[in-house]
Amino acid sequence: MVSVCFYFQVHQPYRLRRYSMFDIGHNHHYFDDHKNAEVARKVARKCYLPMNNLLLEQIRHHKGKFKIAFSITGTAIEQFREYAPEVLESFKELARTGCVEFLDETYYHSLSYLYSKEEFSEQVNMHRKLMEKEFGQSPTVFRNTELIYNNELANHVESLGYKGIIAEGWDAMLGWRSPNFIYQSEYTTDIKTLLKNYKLSDDIAFRFGNKGWEEHPLTVDKFRDWLNKVNGNGHTVNLFMDYETFGEHQWEDTGIFDFMRHLPHAVLEHPDNDFKTPSEVVQSYDSVGRIDAHDYVSWADAERDLTAWLGNKMQEASLKELYKLEAQVKAARDPAMLNDWRKLTTSDHFYYMCTKWFADGDVHKYFSPYESPYEAYIAFMNVIQDMKLRLENRSEEMNPSAQEASTI
Amino acid sequence: MRILTLGWEFPPFFAGGVGMVCHELTRALSQRGLGITYVMPFGPEHVESDFVKLVVASRLSKYTNLKIKTVRSTLTAYTTEHEYSERVQQLQQVIADDRDKSRTLYGRDLFDEIHKYAIRVRALAEMEEFDIIHAHDWTTFPAAVGAKHASGKPLIVHVHITQFDMVGGDGQINQMAYDIERYGMQEADIIIAVSDYIKNRLVSQYGIPEHKIRVLHNAATPMNNSIGAGPLKIKSTDKIVLFAGRVTLQKGPDYFVQAARLVLDKDPNVKFVMAGTGDMLHRMIELSADLGMSDKFIFPGFYSRHDAEQLFAMADCFVMPSVSEPFGIVPLEAMQKGTPVIVSRQSGVAEVLRNALKVDFWDTTDTANKILAVLKYRELSDHLTEHGTIEVQSMTWDRYAQRLEEVYGELLLQVKH
Repeated sequence: MVSVCFYFQVHQPYRLRRYSMFDIGHNHHYFDDHKNAEVARKVARKCYLPMNNLLLEQIRHHKGKFKIAFSITGTAIEQFREYAPEVLESFKELARTGCVEFLDETYYHSLSYLYSKEEFSEQVNMHRKLMEKEFGQSPTVFRNTELIYNNELANHVESLGYKGIIAEGWDAMLGWRSPNFIYQSEYTTDIKTLLKNYKLSDDIAFRFGNKGWEEHPLTVDKFRDWLNKVNGNGHTVNLFMDYETFGEHQWEDTGIFDFMRHLPHAVLEHPDNDFKTPSEVVQSYDSVGRIDAHDYVSWADAERDLTAWLGNKMQEASLKELYKLEAQVKAARDPAMLNDWRKLTTSDHFYYMCTKWFADGDVHKYFSPYESPYEAYIAFMNVIQDMKLRLENRSEEMNPSAQEASTI
Repeated sequence: MRILTLGWEFPPFFAGGVGMVCHELTRALSQRGLGITYVMPFGPEHVESDFVKLVVASRLSKYTNLKIKTVRSTLTAYTTEHEYSERVQQLQQVIADDRDKSRTLYGRDLFDEIHKYAIRVRALAEMEEFDIIHAHDWTTFPAAVGAKHASGKPLIVHVHITQFDMVGGDGQINQMAYDIERYGMQEADIIIAVSDYIKNRLVSQYGIPEHKIRVLHNAATPMNNSIGAGPLKIKSTDKIVLFAGRVTLQKGPDYFVQAARLVLDKDPNVKFVMAGTGDMLHRMIELSADLGMSDKFIFPGFYSRHDAEQLFAMADCFVMPSVSEPFGIVPLEAMQKGTPVIVSRQSGVAEVLRNALKVDFWDTTDTANKILAVLKYRELSDHLTEHGTIEVQSMTWDRYAQRLEEVYGELLLQVKH
């Protein structure tokens, strides 16, 4: 028996505008509304709407046998509401089929677990409420930002009540073991870990349209044969990828939509195969053993570590500066400021500052709205300066005797 | 493979930027085993170099019975008439102690000299053995085309700058010079441009087909690691922002002064150094005073290469706000000294640099924003310094010569077929 488990990541950050030194103290509007609207509408047109439609078609056609899961960030849903409400509506329609599961994560797609467990819990809570409100589901499986994962994190997520957690099936962590089984992390009691089969996932997500790849073109039959090979030596093939793969990273003319249109039928042709959602995988299969994720793993870049967000001093400094403000921002009891601050926790801001140019540079470049990581750092740090000023002005209002003038 | 290289300057017989490039690239090519005959228009009677056969065209009469008539022309045009004569004066000063070896370096009338040089080179081309002619910038193009016709060998013309860049974009160009440039490019088998920026100009303003053009970005010439007192005394607590280059329209000094005003409004503890001379220098001194920055600006005037190293080493930030810069080699020198650089996107060097901040020259607010960021955010300036130094070290003339050799190979193959 082989189960195929699809989970798609849906995320859009609130991109900053080119916030200048000369905006500090004058303009508290940090985000590039125009750009954000433009991206949301473009990706809606090229990916979200056609792909949701395709999946809905397939779910209806296979009458309950084709199933999928999504993890959608709070910042993505907010932007759908504002810029592309028909996208949110089509996700709701998918939810109503009963064949679509929603996972939990931090509302702001943040690195908060690394800096503040308190903020992490609050953002997870916000996301859980959002899933209940929009889709009527209470997720039981958790995915952390960019699949950042280790033993301690699995343990912490278990304490929040989740039954399953997603991680990258990275060789350095697995050793000789296969990602096609369910495991449990060290220092956890019951929570099960679903591992991404990165070879098969990346065949679709990264290599599908690459004409230099020896397996190009990837046909449904070829991919079905690879899946069937797991039969007898694995329980589940976890295909986890960014949803923007479809139509945005892999353009329509690569044939990616046709591939996905025909894959469910090809998989179900084999009587031993089925589709399961992550929570069904957790319920159906027992853990076959312990894995020891002592170091952090993620699904990013060739290194699968934290260096995409924490690989240089600029990234470290900006994250540190941001989280240094947490207590003050929360004490200020100003919802607008807290909202701004939380939007700044989104991991993408730090990803844009990545300087691992040469190996993974292309991928970073494609996803960055900035000309260079330096530009990203300058805009972010300028915003932090303004937020500090807002906090200082606020405390002066509360406490007029405080005379300390702020300079930049 | 033997190359007949035509250039207007060759150090130490003075060098502007193009002369330095010719020097470095000739040396790197010879180290790769290529033979080079380098012909410059003027120079002392006995010239020697350990890596190139140097020929001074004006001394060629001892080889031949050349008779050269002077072409009458009232035009002088290096960049502008004023600048040409200023340059002549400057050069004569530089070689003053060498006067017995070299009579005049630059003729009084540039077009006359271009013509004389062309006749002499053509005669030389009939005697010398070589496989390819490689000509640097428009003043050598008539000579290059003559040499091509005399020898039947293929021609590469190398464009370091065009008339449009000299006048800063929207000034009136010299039509005669433009005609010479275009003629040289039309006659050439391959054109090398120092940047995509120049390449686009050759396509759009000279009507050159794209397939004839190869882009070779300049490399960085290593700086000495001389230590010593800087040429300027500045209060050590003040941060220093540096402009270094000719103070002319092309280099955008006025945008530097405007940006300085904005910087000082945010942070008064900054000093600005504008090093170099040029026809806009006096206006810049006035402008800085008009904007209330007399005590914030320093104008050290003409600087030597040694001074430049000191200036780069002491500056916290180097800015090149050029309006139109075919390449722009100075930022590479600043980066070697570990100085964070800000360059205008209207420059060729911006195409290749990763570890530099980039601005549109007219956007003085963004320039000021980035100057302030470099001065304020330690992690930013540290990162620019560390990675800029590494980056610029990898831009070697040897790598450049290797690519140029490929172009030579491509050309010879092209000629065969």
